[in-house]
Amino acid sequence: MSWRRPNTVIMLVVGVLACAIAPLGATWLDTTILTGVLALISLSAGLSFGQAGILSMAQGAFAAIGAYSTAVLSTRFGLSPWVGLLLALLLPALLAWALARVVSRMPELATALATLALATLVEILARNWDSVTGGYIGIAGIPPIAGFEKGWMFNILVWVFVVLAVLMHENLMNSAHGRALRIIKHDRTRAMADGVAVAPVLSAMLATSGAMAGAGGWLYAHYITYMSPGSLDTYASISALLMAVVGGPGYILGPVLGTFLLNLLGKLLPAQEAQGLFYGGALIIILIVAPEGLLGWSHRLLDRLKAREPAAPGKAGAAAAATGTTATSTSATTVEAERRAIEAAP
Amino acid sequence: MLEYIIRGLLNGSVYALLALPMTLFFTTAATVDFAIGAYALLAAALATAVPGLLGIAVGLLGAVGASIVMCIVYVLLKRANKEGIRVALASFGLSLALSSIVLMVWGTKPFVRQTFTTMWEIGGFRLNPQGILNMLVAVLLVISAWQVLQRTQLGRMMRAAAANAQGAELAAIPVIGVQCATIVAGGLLGGIAGLLILYSSGLDFTASLGLTFVGFASAIIFGIQSPLRCLAGGLAIGVIEALSAGYTTGMVTSMVPSLFMLIVLLSGQLGGSRYSGDRP
Repeated sequence: MSWRRPNTVIMLVVGVLACAIAPLGATWLDTTILTGVLALISLSAGLSFGQAGILSMAQGAFAAIGAYSTAVLSTRFGLSPWVGLLLALLLPALLAWALARVVSRMPELATALATLALATLVEILARNWDSVTGGYIGIAGIPPIAGFEKGWMFNILVWVFVVLAVLMHENLMNSAHGRALRIIKHDRTRAMADGVAVAPVLSAMLATSGAMAGAGGWLYAHYITYMSPGSLDTYASISALLMAVVGGPGYILGPVLGTFLLNLLGKLLPAQEAQGLFYGGALIIILIVAPEGLLGWSHRLLDRLKAREPAAPGKAGAAAAATGTTATSTSATTVEAERRAIEAAP
Repeated sequence: MLEYIIRGLLNGSVYALLALPMTLFFTTAATVDFAIGAYALLAAALATAVPGLLGIAVGLLGAVGASIVMCIVYVLLKRANKEGIRVALASFGLSLALSSIVLMVWGTKPFVRQTFTTMWEIGGFRLNPQGILNMLVAVLLVISAWQVLQRTQLGRMMRAAAANAQGAELAAIPVIGVQCATIVAGGLLGGIAGLLILYSSGLDFTASLGLTFVGFASAIIFGIQSPLRCLAGGLAIGVIEALSAGYTTGMVTSMVPSLFMLIVLLSGQLGGSRYSGDRP
């Protein structure tokens, strides 16, 4: 856990803080647990949109599949939740992989619409498949995870999952796969010419993101102990995506920041009905003011401040290299920073 | 059987009306306005608040006003030179916000109004006159949209903006202006569709996304190129929906629009050639 993984270190600190403030009261505990679960689902949306360029509106559906599979296994068959976790990771991953094999050849807009259609189909299926999902009534009495019955224990489990997700995400982006993804996002034809197998890489990416969302659904089901079609619906998919976009989908910690901001600020709203107005308005404003999300915006601000200082040539180069490591995938901003560094050099 | 088909045709004409703005906007700006269903919802909600004919006018004005908001967002995004997917996302945000406003002001009660209390009997079938009216309005609007596209100066500018935005710009066509006009026209058409639904089957605050969906499915089922195809698409979806409502379970019926959309998208109907080798 050296300086090569700054995002994981930050996430670890945030996770420990979240676990530390949780025992302050029941409301705090509930808020931190739900924020953690949402952060995990939104991280999965950020993974697919920010790194693979697939605007997936099915993350809520993947989470719902994870939640339902563990719910069915533990209530009907009495199996351990850990067996449920296996299925909750596998089923969404398989579905996402199959979808991505077909979808990754299509333009972005068609991909987004196809994932949205899939999410709607999953939701309709959950509403109507009475013998398995319990239809509109849903499944109640999902047992808590053995050893994590206490709220604060469960909270730690949730944040361990989030930190693990961030660690894996950062490792991925530091690897050859991550570099391949960055080329694909920048220019697909170039990626093909460089010998990157575009479709398999993207499919694996969406499958990973589906599994991550499935894990979020698994945690959700065992925390709420009740699962119905309305719990993780299309609205959940959209808000997960929205949190990722607000925070900065190209940055590893962007979705987490977005979840914190929207979820906590959303608690201050006068009425539950206003949530859609707040979320929709936030999305539009962010898209116009800070297209790269809040992290992208602050990153750009820092760059501008740095450029204003009369830097020595060597120092400018070092600054560009430093920004290159903190920005995970936004090749555009990195390229821009490099260009600025070159201009500043003579 | 025949009754289901006729009922499907009548329902489908409204879907065609929702599909029309999708087609127009997609062909002029190559992106999707997800807020069409929300314009329809807003128009219906406003129309119930004000009695009589004035309500219709207020509803349409509301829908057009909402689409002007979308217009401003579109121009701002376009100025930052953002690709179509961000416009689609922003319209999603607008749709969320509009639904939330309707929920805040009007609550969860469904909106429905009946103008005709009697049913017409034609050749043994019982038909709601409202259905016939919906059909007439839809066919009239689709055909006039087609005529505008084919015959008028505006239509030529729209087609030019669609075919080659840069070239159209060089030929002194205000491309952004044409696209904005399309968004506002979409608001108007969405509003009309919302009013027709209000007077026939009714809707509630959750309807906006479903309506957008049905409209988009109808727009792409036969290809997204021309208004006449979206009329055919809307009618086809309506008939299939009515038939599956008659012969299968409710689950299949509610799946029809998304299922069709998925199938058509997977078969690569929507600009499938873009990633097969040429640079975007």
